[in-house]
Amino acid sequence: MFPRSLGTVNELFAPPGNDWRPVSPALARLRRTVLVSVAGIALVITLVLGLVLETPVWPVLVVAALLVLVVAGGWVLIGRNARWWGYAERDEDLFIRHGALFRTLVVVPYGRMQYVDVQAGPLEQAFKIASVHLHTASPGTSARIPGLPADEAARLRDRLTSLGHAQAAGL
Amino acid sequence: MSLPGPPLERAERPYKRISPLTPLVRSFILVVAVLASSWDDLLRGDIGPLAWILLTMLVAGAVYGAASWWRTKYWIEADELRVDTGVISRQSRRIRVDRLQGIDIVQPFVARLFGLAELRMDVAGGGAREGSLAFLPLREAQGLRETLLARRDAVRAPRSSNEDRVDDPVTPVTPGPERVLARLDLGTLLVSLLLSAETVGFVVAAVVLGALFVEFGQLGGLAGVLPVVAGFGVALFRRLSAYYGLTVAETPTGLQVRRGLFELNAQTIAVARVQGVVVTEPLMWRRLGWARLDVAVAGYAGSGSDGGPSASTVMPVADRDLVLWLARRLLEASGAPDPSSVRLTRSPARARWVSPIGRRFLASGVGDDLLVSREGVLTRRTHIVPHARVQSLQLTQGPLQRTLRLADLQVDSPPGPVKVRARHRDAVEARGLLDRADALARAARSASGPA
Repeated sequence: MFPRSLGTVNELFAPPGNDWRPVSPALARLRRTVLVSVAGIALVITLVLGLVLETPVWPVLVVAALLVLVVAGGWVLIGRNARWWGYAERDEDLFIRHGALFRTLVVVPYGRMQYVDVQAGPLEQAFKIASVHLHTASPGTSARIPGLPADEAARLRDRLTSLGHAQAAGL
Repeated sequence: MSLPGPPLERAERPYKRISPLTPLVRSFILVVAVLASSWDDLLRGDIGPLAWILLTMLVAGAVYGAASWWRTKYWIEADELRVDTGVISRQSRRIRVDRLQGIDIVQPFVARLFGLAELRMDVAGGGAREGSLAFLPLREAQGLRETLLARRDAVRAPRSSNEDRVDDPVTPVTPGPERVLARLDLGTLLVSLLLSAETVGFVVAAVVLGALFVEFGQLGGLAGVLPVVAGFGVALFRRLSAYYGLTVAETPTGLQVRRGLFELNAQTIAVARVQGVVVTEPLMWRRLGWARLDVAVAGYAGSGSDGGPSASTVMPVADRDLVLWLARRLLEASGAPDPSSVRLTRSPARARWVSPIGRRFLASGVGDDLLVSREGVLTRRTHIVPHARVQSLQLTQGPLQRTLRLADLQVDSPPGPVKVRARHRDAVEARGLLDRADALARAARSASGPA
């Protein structure tokens, strides 16, 4: 699960012990599906416009080529981004890592959690995934894990809630 | 004919009413406006239709105000402050005493004329100020505040394992003894206002105005520049009136900050709830060795950064030594005595590629008790957060930083002015700081125990 080719840079964002758990591959599938659908719709619109307005063929071809490029680039980026999502449950805190380009590592102590959200939109439900969002007293805490398998999301929420209660620290 | 006395069950519940002058204070400006506009007509005896309408409104308002006053009652019952209000639809608010973060006494100008005060209660979990009780006679407001805070401490004391918090569970109903720690003298305040960015703006705008006048011999640009001049003037005056006569005193319930020229404001900072402090040193004050102290308290968002007076300000201007001494007082409860003991280090030289000017002014450090960061080219701000108050930690690295092997460490705090960020540190060092801060925060949390 760990992109070995990136070498030592990873250690910067790794938890002690290096026991990352990845997010579900369904997250990348979902995002790629959305990407391809949007590009497909754009392609259809371009074709229809080209036919209705009776434009020459080359602008349509240029747009189509651009769309293919966007899809290809997006496909790769989505894969990279999904590989970089990861979390590690430790004794007293949760490590979350995300972002391939702008990398972030968030450390949230269980005792600081105010509440935990589990969200699953219609698309996410179709792919049987959910996202878990941890809230602390600080709005700056960006602790969100998208693309967890639904049962794993429920397990994580229950575990976080019980640990949060056990270790709750005053403000 | 029987006297309409209160029913028996009411008599058992010793509720109190707010001051009967409340409706008058609330609508004072309206009343004055109506009276002023129809005074001549009233004296002459011929009352025009407009005056009739206004007077009818006034009478209706007075009736409503009286009814509202009659219906508003408050009392303390089983660790709750209950406030019943409402003329047509009734409301009953319950404010749990143990949820109180702090209570401010505020005297708007009109209320001050009548010797009245408003009690503002900050409740945990609410960003907005939920509980307000207005208006009470000042003495009564002070007494109620002391009673509520004392009761809160009494409720909390048995549950908290924190030994230093169990100071005095007896209930002092009269204002406790207090010791004045610091006073803002008027001269310093005036000079500091003269040396502020607003004054520079004011002068620049005035010079532009004058230049336009000289150049064109007429005040053609007046319409454009005058609002700017007035705006800066108003901003300066607002600060002067807000911070006038500021006093920091130590009371049994926390540090109390009293201030105000027209509108008096008394704010108590529960030292145990302090999340961090900011020491601000604008360029023009540095030569004089002056600084400003802001504090972040849980549940107290403070006002925005519109340049106006802020509720988070403990000391708007004072000698740096005094400010640091006050900062120590505020941080003491979290076992973090001395901010100056933390060694601050600069970012590596290669950070100039991402922050050419700012780099020289960036510094940060992780001490045994505190996280400290400093930034700002013109206005130097030093943010200080004790490990025991850290909410979460973040390590971030953008693509440019990655090629330079740099990273940012950010400390998340509750909403407020304090934000510690160690920017553009060496990546490996930043990761080391993160691990160190995490371990120290863990130790601090277990030391302070559950709450």
